[in-house]
Amino acid sequence: MTKAGLVKLAAHGLAVSLPPGWEGTITAEQEALVAAQSLAFAASAAPPETMPVAQFATFALPAVRDDFGGTAVERMGRDDVFISLVEYAAEEASSALFSARGLPRRLDARAFSPHMLQRRIPGHTGLQRFFNHGGRAFCLYLVLGDADDAHRLTRRAEQVLATIVVDDAP
Amino acid sequence: MTIVVTVLTVAVIVLTVLVAGLLRSHAVILRRLHDLGGDVDMDGAPGADAAPTPPPATDDLDLPQPPTVSEGRVAADLSGVGPRGEARAIRVAGTPHDTILVFLSSGCTTCHRFWDDLRAAGGDDDDPRVVVVSRGADAESRTAIADIAPRELTVVMSSEAWTAYEVPGSPYVVHVDGPSGRVRGEGTGPTWQQVQRMLRQGAGDLDARRAGHRTASADAQREEDVDRVLLAAGIEPGDASLYTRADGTTVTRTT
Repeated sequence: MTKAGLVKLAAHGLAVSLPPGWEGTITAEQEALVAAQSLAFAASAAPPETMPVAQFATFALPAVRDDFGGTAVERMGRDDVFISLVEYAAEEASSALFSARGLPRRLDARAFSPHMLQRRIPGHTGLQRFFNHGGRAFCLYLVLGDADDAHRLTRRAEQVLATIVVDDAP
Repeated sequence: MTIVVTVLTVAVIVLTVLVAGLLRSHAVILRRLHDLGGDVDMDGAPGADAAPTPPPATDDLDLPQPPTVSEGRVAADLSGVGPRGEARAIRVAGTPHDTILVFLSSGCTTCHRFWDDLRAAGGDDDDPRVVVVSRGADAESRTAIADIAPRELTVVMSSEAWTAYEVPGSPYVVHVDGPSGRVRGEGTGPTWQQVQRMLRQGAGDLDARRAGHRTASADAQREEDVDRVLLAAGIEPGDASLYTRADGTTVTRTT
């Protein structure tokens, strides 16, 4: 814990200072897979790249979640926000899909749409942004619990986005 | 003439008794106030024409605040790592749901029963939310925790949490009340089911006590609402209308 109730999280070249009311994880879901494969193939082949996923939420995140919030967003209330930052392979950073530069810190609430949701839930709205940052490729995915209150919930999400630090690719 | 003198004499006696009674009750009141530390000068009695204490200014209003839950120590949010290497921060205070923190180790025999029970329960309920807390990687094997912990269970490895909650050993269970951010109950037992029963019983007792708190809170809220309405209508403390009856007579102010 740090001052003013901020909780700092850092792993896999990502860091965040979560304001009060937020919790989160930064994980590389393939770590266990990599370990298993390394054992199975006796490290004869290059291990697959681990892809970090950072998830932040204003509600209790279940232990098992999909990268884009499956099994988690079902628990959201109308006042809740879910953020997922999913990394892709570094070579994707120069592709057209990830051509936007830098993590979006400010968001236009009008850009949110239920059509952008990975999992359609009545009342929810979402946003997806692909970008590159420091030679790394990311998708930023957000879900707001109340589409009618998108402006206020967007400001809430921006409080977290403002604190995210992305290290450059090694 | 005799009748008039008799009537006047009786009137004087009655008035004397009344005045004596009033003086006595006044003395009792002053003594009580003095005992309570009231701001009354018993020695140098104020003059009859002493200026009354002015009503407090609006800015100095000390409106009643909702009572805080006094029982239970303040709960600490959790931060640490998961058994699969993930960085993890978990909120337990200021949440709409309660959280059951289950402090377990990978080695203790009784803990194994808890791990088995939690695996069998298989739940990842969000109210109350169950979070297993092991010691950090400095004192616990991450591999051992990863092997024993079911994936559907939220697990955080944090020695700081063990210190913050003053955990005497494992297994140990702490029930945190989310809305108040305070510890609601804690203890240990031979099985997860038995500890659950103990926590439920403790929570029931606390709920009964809180019902009393809520009544006092409702009274305070009502008073605050009345104050707010009066202030909005421009009626401040000390306003003459507050001391006027419906029939136009005035009520003596007490300060």
